[in-house]
Amino acid sequence: MVSLPESKVDFHGTRRGAEHESFLTHRGMRWAKIAGGLSFVLFLGYLLIDQEPRPNGGSWYGYTLGTIGLGLIVWLSLLGVRKRRINEGHWSLKAWTSAHVFLGLSLVVIGTLHTGFQLGWNVHTLAWALMMLVIASGIYGVVVYATLPERLSANRKQMTRGQMVEALATIDRQLEQAAQPLPRDEADLVIAALEQNVFAGGGWARLTGRYRHCATARALTAFREDFRAASDQQAPKARVSALLRTRSAQLAQIRLQMRLKALLEVWLFIHIPATIALLTALLAHVISVFYYWG
Amino acid sequence: MAFLIRTIDQTASGREIVRESVVDKDTLSIGRAAENDIHLSDLAVEQHHVTIAAATGEKLDIKAISRLGFEINGRLEKAASIDPAQGAELALGSSRLAISQNNGQVMLIITKAVSGEDAVDAKRSFALAGTLPAKRAMSWGLAAAILFTFLAVPIASHLTRERITTDDVDRAGQVDFDGSWSTGKLSLAHHSLEDNCEACHVDAFVSVRDEACLTCHEDIGDHAEAPRLADGRAPHEFGEGFQWAVAGMFGKEGPGACTTCHTEHEGPTRMEPASQLFCADCHDTLDTRLTDTTLANASDFGKTHPEFKAAIFTEFRQQEPRRISLGDRPRERNGLKFPHDVHLDPQGGVARMAIRLGRGAGYGSALACKDCHEATSDRVSFEPIDMEANCESCHSLAYDQVGGTFRTLHHGDVDQMLADLRAMDRSPRRPVVTGRSRPERYARGGLYYSNFGPPGRSLVGIDRALAPGGVCGECHLPATSGNRLDVMPVNLPDRYFAHGGFDHHAHRQEECSTCHEAESSKVSSDVLLPDLASCRECHQGETAIEAEVPSSCAMCHSYHRPGTPMPQDHPDNRRSEIANLGPEAR
Repeated sequence: MVSLPESKVDFHGTRRGAEHESFLTHRGMRWAKIAGGLSFVLFLGYLLIDQEPRPNGGSWYGYTLGTIGLGLIVWLSLLGVRKRRINEGHWSLKAWTSAHVFLGLSLVVIGTLHTGFQLGWNVHTLAWALMMLVIASGIYGVVVYATLPERLSANRKQMTRGQMVEALATIDRQLEQAAQPLPRDEADLVIAALEQNVFAGGGWARLTGRYRHCATARALTAFREDFRAASDQQAPKARVSALLRTRSAQLAQIRLQMRLKALLEVWLFIHIPATIALLTALLAHVISVFYYWG
Repeated sequence: MAFLIRTIDQTASGREIVRESVVDKDTLSIGRAAENDIHLSDLAVEQHHVTIAAATGEKLDIKAISRLGFEINGRLEKAASIDPAQGAELALGSSRLAISQNNGQVMLIITKAVSGEDAVDAKRSFALAGTLPAKRAMSWGLAAAILFTFLAVPIASHLTRERITTDDVDRAGQVDFDGSWSTGKLSLAHHSLEDNCEACHVDAFVSVRDEACLTCHEDIGDHAEAPRLADGRAPHEFGEGFQWAVAGMFGKEGPGACTTCHTEHEGPTRMEPASQLFCADCHDTLDTRLTDTTLANASDFGKTHPEFKAAIFTEFRQQEPRRISLGDRPRERNGLKFPHDVHLDPQGGVARMAIRLGRGAGYGSALACKDCHEATSDRVSFEPIDMEANCESCHSLAYDQVGGTFRTLHHGDVDQMLADLRAMDRSPRRPVVTGRSRPERYARGGLYYSNFGPPGRSLVGIDRALAPGGVCGECHLPATSGNRLDVMPVNLPDRYFAHGGFDHHAHRQEECSTCHEAESSKVSSDVLLPDLASCRECHQGETAIEAEVPSSCAMCHSYHRPGTPMPQDHPDNRRSEIANLGPEAR
């Protein structure tokens, strides 16, 4: 079960004198129980109520499941509206989020039973597949929200993001000065490293943390080779090389920060568009079913 | 010549710092190295990059002294000559040097181009948002694509299509992309309609109508009159009742419609015969709703099914057979004497006769059922018994021989038979001619004549053909009609079971005697039909696991023609075709 580690709860507990409660464990997992109970009852109904000739979304029980599912999906997608309004009380955002997560999970049961396990290449199965995609990305989101923030703050080492960028800029200024005596080709390597935007790696590089065209890494390789045959005249090179290593380390911190942040955010890039696509696919599903009514 | 050099730097807050210096030289050197007249600490600038030298006529010559050129007024050059009075901009790395004339002096204003990187908001840059397609754009894009493909295109092409009213099933559909609406493949029988959704789904938001089915299925009969069907139907359960109520509000035809039992889009299999439950819904407790019905309740062949009622002639001269339960041990009055046991006894006289008649006449051994009962061409049932074809090879009606030809009595026509027999004695006999003349009695031509013909009267005389011991009485019961002798009319029903179909071919692995106790039947009034209990030895209800043959109602009964068995082309009747693969398939 995903939840915050004990130590963290204790920390908040002593500091605020009130126990921190995750949206997952909100009110003794009230919504987990409600959603679990709902799924169980509907599953039991599916098993016990005979639908002739076979379970189907168009039987009366199928319509019941479909209506419940549709209602849930519309309500769940309203979280996007709700979270933009600051509000307190019985329907606090935490309660709402808790219900969102657990009722969303119950849709795996409700939506799938509604299909009667009749899947195919059609708009109806498209809606089901989009629903499953939204739920899967949501589960990923809950997992990363519970695990990644800790790693994110560990990586920051008391620095703000602004400070990280500032630190890089400081190193860059030193590097620019240190590189002044260098000849053209070596200066070009440093320019390339300095000119490369740290934020310009692209989505895939951010998610994987692998930057194939990193100019700093390339410059470092070139300077390391030179450095092996170091002599007194090459003191500027040694200095540039040392600064490049520092720059590389700072880059690594920024990139890990970006990677964790990307891992923390990427699910929303699936969850949100897939939700909108699901709502439209549901519209098409419902209209087409009654347009070509059997 | 003096160059006035003004350097403008910007602080972080945007304030400008201006520094001025004068270089009194003819040639001005610019580069990254400290010994240059103008020193630009920019790695993009060479150690010794360009020189600016005074030339003739107030002009200036700019020359690159390194590998790299320079940018003058936006063009990349290695050397250039400019007129400071007209002004020019020299770009070196990130520095801009604006050259102009000022009070006879050449003035250079050096500014640094603002780097775009500084403007980037550090906090924002850490977010993934900039590097992936925007969520909003993706959402709109997907939504638009789905709405267009799965709604707009099918609906537009459905509304603008040309209406087809014929039953041309091979015609391709006109609605585009409505295949994406199909919830599953059609049954094999309807496969040709796969691409023609609008053949059944005619109008928007109108459920599939019976008339659409009847376009092709013209000969389907009604199970009963619609009002009587409605009366007999059991009340719905809560959920189903609610669904029908809602569906009714939206114009669905109701529980008697074709589509209620015949669901489609269930995959490319045979269309499923309606399940036993569909019948049991009404017939389970039919007598409580249709109080005048003669039908007994039935819900499961193994558990609740009335004893078979056979259509039997229970009285002589009955016009129509009477349906009577086999449980009442009915006796059949068909007007014939026919002891099955005598005919089937392998040691008896009948067997001897069949052996004597030999293989050439279709016998050769003791009689078997098939010697008299011929299967119909579809092998489902048997042809009616025919005296001439099935009996006469033993039970001869020959009464005279003329040369090599036998004269036989007309079977089935008493008047004709009586006339034949009367005429037999009146007709001249074959003359017996010895060739020897004898005195006294001469016939025409002087030949001696006497009638030595057979004493017909004593063999098959009129009085004895119909009398006890006469030839007719061998099989027929004597009777009188009007004032003359006659035989009892023969009544053999064509079908014993009016409401169920029985396929003898499907039971060919069984002996006839498994179901029909003919070998021990001494009189023709025995009803040799198997009863419910003997059928149940193999057949049980649809859901019976222990049964050899789980049997739904549709195995024997036809919904659409309740008085007849299932039509020959009914999918259920073709079950054996699948098992009986031809030699090439084996």
